[in-house]
Amino acid sequence: MSQPMDDVMPSAPDPSGDVAEVPKLRLKGVGKSFRLPRGETIEAIANVSFDARENEVCVLLGPSGCGKSTVLRMVAGLEQPTTGELTLDGEPIVGPDQERGMVFQAYTSFDWLTVQQNVEYGMRLNHVPRQERRERAEHFIELVGLSRFAGTYPRHLSGGMKQRVAIARTLANAPAILLMDEPFGALDAQTRWQMQELMMDIVAAANTTVLMVTHDIEEAIFLADRIEFMSRHPGRVHEEIIPAFKQGRRIGQKEELIGLAGYGDMERHILRLMREQGSDETAP
Amino acid sequence: MLGALVWILFFGVWETAVSRGWVNALLVPSPVDVIATLYELFAERGFLGDVGISIARIIGSFLLACAIAIPLGILMGSFKTVEALFNPFVSAWRYLPAPAFIPILLMWFGTGELPKLALLFLGVIFFLITLIMDHTSQVRAELIETAMTLGGKRWQILWTVVVPAVLPNILISMRQMLAIAWTYLVIAEIVASTTGIGAMMMRARRFLNTDEIMAGILVIGVLGLAFDLLFRWLQRALFPYLSQEGD
Repeated sequence: MSQPMDDVMPSAPDPSGDVAEVPKLRLKGVGKSFRLPRGETIEAIANVSFDARENEVCVLLGPSGCGKSTVLRMVAGLEQPTTGELTLDGEPIVGPDQERGMVFQAYTSFDWLTVQQNVEYGMRLNHVPRQERRERAEHFIELVGLSRFAGTYPRHLSGGMKQRVAIARTLANAPAILLMDEPFGALDAQTRWQMQELMMDIVAAANTTVLMVTHDIEEAIFLADRIEFMSRHPGRVHEEIIPAFKQGRRIGQKEELIGLAGYGDMERHILRLMREQGSDETAP
Repeated sequence: MLGALVWILFFGVWETAVSRGWVNALLVPSPVDVIATLYELFAERGFLGDVGISIARIIGSFLLACAIAIPLGILMGSFKTVEALFNPFVSAWRYLPAPAFIPILLMWFGTGELPKLALLFLGVIFFLITLIMDHTSQVRAELIETAMTLGGKRWQILWTVVVPAVLPNILISMRQMLAIAWTYLVIAEIVASTTGIGAMMMRARRFLNTDEIMAGILVIGVLGLAFDLLFRWLQRALFPYLSQEGD
């Protein structure tokens, strides 16, 4: 995405609005324990509750080992909670499904399919007619700026481009929510912020709800309408952080974000949380 | 090109050793004699028929082994229950050397084609199943989970993710096991056969025709190489997306 873009994206849903509506995604008292071979049980996640609203970008942030990826995998239906309930549009989540498409940190392009075929893959599984499949794939490939590479095999793509394929593939499949597990974690710094800015464009254009896991503070503040900060032993939501200083706007460029009054305070606040919750000495 | 150098050296030393009388020419014929004998075998003594039979035995038994090992290996690598069911059986058989079955195979099937095909089949199939199972279980979990969150059902994912992901490795396993199949073929033909390359070599031994034995070895080597090249070509033809060149 090299063309200049608007600095200000369409406004994000107002997080302080009416609470009576049914949230897009709701987690209520979600917990997960593992049983060790000796019969001991380990509580990995305890009592995680939060809502994500329609068209909102919700970020799970926290030190490693806080179970944020496990929470995301439970939303995807790839793991089952031990306690609590998860609902999407009011319906309980049971197992993986097309409506909860996930982008992983590891590259997941199918090597044997071209970019176009990769993006069409999910729609093929779901029996979308050929013509519609092709058009939707072309639309999303253009959205992630890969039109020139539609006929290319993933082997010839860079890491950032592979992640764009994964994002386009998931969105083309029309999920109700886009799940992302540290999608830019394997990328170099420059590619990473380019992808973050691209994500802002995509979220605006595709009008989709996003639940994303990261341990990158700047990334979280940049992308999120709502941050659920998680702590460890057991993993739980420590604090919900709304980047109110963005005033409900979506900022398209990072330098503008960092220049905003209030950014520094929020970053400092989260850094302190990371330090407290991430070090074993001060952990409760 | 550099590799050819060692071959030239090899044949040079061999030829010199024979012509200078360093070795007994009766036991070690010169490479020139071997080539001449090879020509004679093909041109005048119907050796092509023996070669054809050997190749047919390899292809017949190997295809049969693949027809069972590929689906079974993929299923065992994909589903824990299928693995639990078959793996104890399959892995036990791997420790039984196939030639140990020659006497009983001869008693059961006589001296026709069946015992040879059975030996090759037994020698290859259990290793092939295990190799394919291992490759299948190593298909990355993220690929499968991606397909699951795209709405893929179990069998759809098996067909559209697991199988295409593992196919290049299956072809490599086949290439490796085909080389082993040649070993068993020669054993089978030497021990109990009147036809095929191995049988010709055993006949030659009776008449001290070392040049014919050497010619047989040469043919087996060339055929092995040819099959290997065939597989490399298949690899490129079937999986163009793996090639290094850009598009």
